[in-house]
Amino acid sequence: SSMNEEFLKKWQMGLQIFSPSIDNTSVSERKRAIKLSADVAMASLRKGTTCWSRALIQKTATEDNFLVRQMLSGIKEEPLINKKLPKVMCHRKIVRRSKKILMRRKSRSAMEEVAAKKLVKKKTQGLRNVVPGGEFMSSNVLLIQETLDYIISLQTQVNVMKSIVDAAEAGIER
Amino acid sequence: MSSSRRSRQASSSSRISDDQITDLISKLRQSIPEIRQNRRSSTVSASKVLQETCNYIRNLNKEADDLSDRLSQLLETIDPNSPQAAIIRSLINE
Repeated sequence: SSMNEEFLKKWQMGLQIFSPSIDNTSVSERKRAIKLSADVAMASLRKGTTCWSRALIQKTATEDNFLVRQMLSGIKEEPLINKKLPKVMCHRKIVRRSKKILMRRKSRSAMEEVAAKKLVKKKTQGLRNVVPGGEFMSSNVLLIQETLDYIISLQTQVNVMKSIVDAAEAGIER
Repeated sequence: MSSSRRSRQASSSSRISDDQITDLISKLRQSIPEIRQNRRSSTVSASKVLQETCNYIRNLNKEADDLSDRLSQLLETIDPNSPQAAIIRSLINE
């Protein structure tokens, strides 16, 4: 698929840019560079249009600002470093107030529905913890949309990395 | 009077996003291999789908991490001048 190809190209570009550090340093430094370039490559596929990809770029830039800027310039995606994240919206008080009004008029089955929704809310908090930028996604609709896109991107990253690493290991055993 | 207007607005907007969320959760259900492969997937609850989604994402991240590990180990163990190194370089270079 074209997403696989684009990820591979960008990841390879990142590895080339990092290769001086890949060749000369410790295994753990090398692994960090490999993982970093894979994450920047994956996030750049979205060109800043999703919250998770912007959050991931910012997270990697916090870990190694210089390397990330180098890589973004290498893959010609420099603007991504400046993409802002949405402000956290503190609307919990308003939601609680309108819920209280709703509750007064509901029947028992509707109350059960509300309890089920509470459970869903708890689980969506778990999602916010694993999706980059989740803390900035106040709407559950946005959270799940971003989650779907993040999963597709992760699958791409893992599939391509797996083919490369499997092929490399097979090449060595020969 | 204004409070009833507010509650009507709140309930109609929450109705729209409820439908959206149901739709999105069924999309999630399709994306998680564990749930998709289970024949009774239509009976999986929303909260289970969300739980499995968290687990799936954690597993994918762990897999990417392990793969980075393996690749860095490979680069460590091979002699840079060997033909094996050339194979690897051709894979990770354009």
